Amino acid sequence: MNTPLLHASSLVLRYGSTTALAGVDLVINEGESVAIMGASGSGKTSLLHCLSGILRPDGGTVRFAGPTGPVDLSTLSDGERSRLRREAFGFVFQQGLLVPELTAVENAALPLLLSGYARRDAEARAAAWLGALGLRGLEERRIGELSGGQAQRVAIARAQVGGATLIFADEPTGALDSATSVDVMDALLRSTVGQGHTLVVVTHDEKVAARCSRVVRLTDGQIVSDSAGPVPPRAAVPAPGAFAGPSPVTTAVAHVAATDGPAFGGAGWEAGR
Amino acid sequence: MSTIAPPTPTAAPTASRPSGRAPIARLAWMLTRPGAASPATVALPIVAFAVTTALLLIVLGGVLMFWQRTDVNAEAFKLLSLLALALLIVPLATLGGAAARLSARRRDDRLATLRLLGATTGTVTLVTVVESTVLAFLGALAGVVLYAVSMPLVGLIPFDGGPIGPTAIWTGPLPILAVVVGVALLAAVSSVIGLRAVVVSPLGVRLRQRAPHTSWLRLLAGVVIVAVAYGTLSSLGVITDVAILVVALVGAFAASVAVLGLVGPFALSVFAKVRLRRAKTAEQLISARGILESPKAAWRLVGGVAMTSFVAVVAGTGTALLESFSAQSSADAIFIADIRTGVLITLVASFTMVACSVGVGQAAAVLDRRDLYVSLDRVGMPVATMDRARVRSVMLPLVFVAVGSALLGALLVFPLAGLALIVAPLSLLVIGICFVLGLALVRLSLLATRPILTNVLAHPERSLG
Ligand SMILES: Nc1ncnc2c1ncn2[C@@H]1O[C@H](COP(=O)(O)OP(=O)(O)OP(=O)(O)O)[C@@H](O)[C@H]1O
Ligand SMILES: [Mg+2]
Repeated sequence: MNTPLLHASSLVLRYGSTTALAGVDLVINEGESVAIMGASGSGKTSLLHCLSGILRPDGGTVRFAGPTGPVDLSTLSDGERSRLRREAFGFVFQQGLLVPELTAVENAALPLLLSGYARRDAEARAAAWLGALGLRGLEERRIGELSGGQAQRVAIARAQVGGATLIFADEPTGALDSATSVDVMDALLRSTVGQGHTLVVVTHDEKVAARCSRVVRLTDGQIVSDSAGPVPPRAAVPAPGAFAGPSPVTTAVAHVAATDGPAFGGAGWEAGR
Repeated sequence: MSTIAPPTPTAAPTASRPSGRAPIARLAWMLTRPGAASPATVALPIVAFAVTTALLLIVLGGVLMFWQRTDVNAEAFKLLSLLALALLIVPLATLGGAAARLSARRRDDRLATLRLLGATTGTVTLVTVVESTVLAFLGALAGVVLYAVSMPLVGLIPFDGGPIGPTAIWTGPLPILAVVVGVALLAAVSSVIGLRAVVVSPLGVRLRQRAPHTSWLRLLAGVVIVAVAYGTLSSLGVITDVAILVVALVGAFAASVAVLGLVGPFALSVFAKVRLRRAKTAEQLISARGILESPKAAWRLVGGVAMTSFVAVVAGTGTALLESFSAQSSADAIFIADIRTGVLITLVASFTMVACSVGVGQAAAVLDRRDLYVSLDRVGMPVATMDRARVRSVMLPLVFVAVGSALLGALLVFPLAGLALIVAPLSLLVIGICFVLGLALVRLSLLATRPILTNVLAHPERSLG
């Protein structure tokens, strides 16, 4: 299935005199796992932030095929983008960056609480996610009482508990040792692409990239290789309107109904280390 | 990236031959000078130390003013001023501690860098101590100015039948010098103490322990003390002797202050547990967990208000009682009015100190957790939610503690003051207004730190990569 989910065209991002992104075109399809690689400073994080609506690019557009129709991220207000990130996207950062005084299950339930779910339902759903990610029995631990790998799984649960089907991860294994890193990447892949969701992951680790279905390499803010096919010359990129088709682009923020819980797991899920 | 020039040999700090000694002053300046750090991280400790110094000088000036009196009530006022000082020492120490911690905080992120660059433990210690001491010294100097500027305002407070006058709380140059040196020393000492933990663990990894267990035994002891105090006061019956009344009030006060210190953190943790169970929204959950994380720290912040609220109710009722049977002479009336003014000033001063501590503490907390706040913003948590969680975690314990200890005070003076409560609704109204103003002041200081939060979110590049 090659349904485009995210379509970035001619992305340009500058910080003062530094050009972090110099015209990036990228189409991400549903169910893909895309590794973004490149040297330090090549613009990986910048690209991820533009794709996910954290940053507004200085040029170009990002279109997201939300459940209620296509959305042009660059036309959304800060509040709308914030809501889109909360409801339609999931994020995993290098350090878990969880709220330290909350327990594992409360951290994982946070997005649901923010969307107005009753606390009991939110925590039940979060607990199901934690269980599926191999953290059963650790629900009531506070974050300081978890290992780095366990905390990262809590972050993975938090990213998806709200029903997000598009997950962004910026060096999710960057702070872990290599064995833990394999476990966490397992958890991330199974819980996302394993159930038909889409994963965009920035990484320095070739082993992590090797497990993704597609590898995109950046140099100086430009895509220099893409395992999905030859990088099209700039002129061959379809016009921005081509993606959305005839339907007008709406700016309504998608409301994603949360699924009943993780639809993966079962055999092969070892307990957290 | 490509413009980085190789280090030129002439840029070396000492001559061509390394001396083997680290240039402490240079390093400290390098890290502190404008531009090296965000302005807030340098300005905040200075402001915090300035406010601490100013309040310290005002309180000191007030106490000295009473000690220079020679009239008939001089002895009573000396005693009362010491009482006020005792009440204000806790919130003042909290404020000083918050200021010291704020300046000590800055080092955590840079210490690792310095160590990586090969600085020895001694160098790291010296750089940090020099830096916090200099910041504290600058802050203390600014505080002296603040104190001088505020003197005319404080001089409007009526005592002895008229305003005390703009120079009444002038301490003289020697106490000022002592305070400035003392504040700088406090900063130096606390930065050394704070450093030890970091030097031991260069990664700055602080393991969080389980929330401390507070025992029911404390509560039991507290209840027993309150019951005994209540019984004693009740058995005194209707008192007509002012001396006995004062002794009874002071006794009840001492016992209850002990109870507050004993039970306060525990009561707060029980309160937070109830809030936690009831929490429905993200901000309710986070604020309740925040208090539970360290009920002792929450108590330290608001405990000063607890003591003062208690005293305000006891003394407020006490003065009303005194007034009801000794309004004959005008001298007595002035004396009683002065005591009431003193109570109100102490109440307002302790709220002011809590407000300042909250401001300083919250500024530090937001900067400390900037990574977390930025990440929560990226995950889509609205700023309003973050702010509400912050506000709740301060205001809830404050209101709980202020109301709780005022009620405790009311319980204890009730056997004495049944009459006075009816006689003097006005004095209680004034105390009530002071409470509301005090709470508003603390809320205001939280509002004042909101721009720090929005600024952190607007400049995420200073935090995460
Ligand atoms: N806030 C900022 N201000 C100024 N320049 C920035 C900022 N953020 C990034 N840059 C610059 O933009 C370019 C791309 O940065 P980006 O963070 O996207 O790189 P990256 O590929 O994620 O690097 P790394 O692997 O080190 O995380 C770099 O040259 C960087 O110096
Ligand atoms: Mg990066």
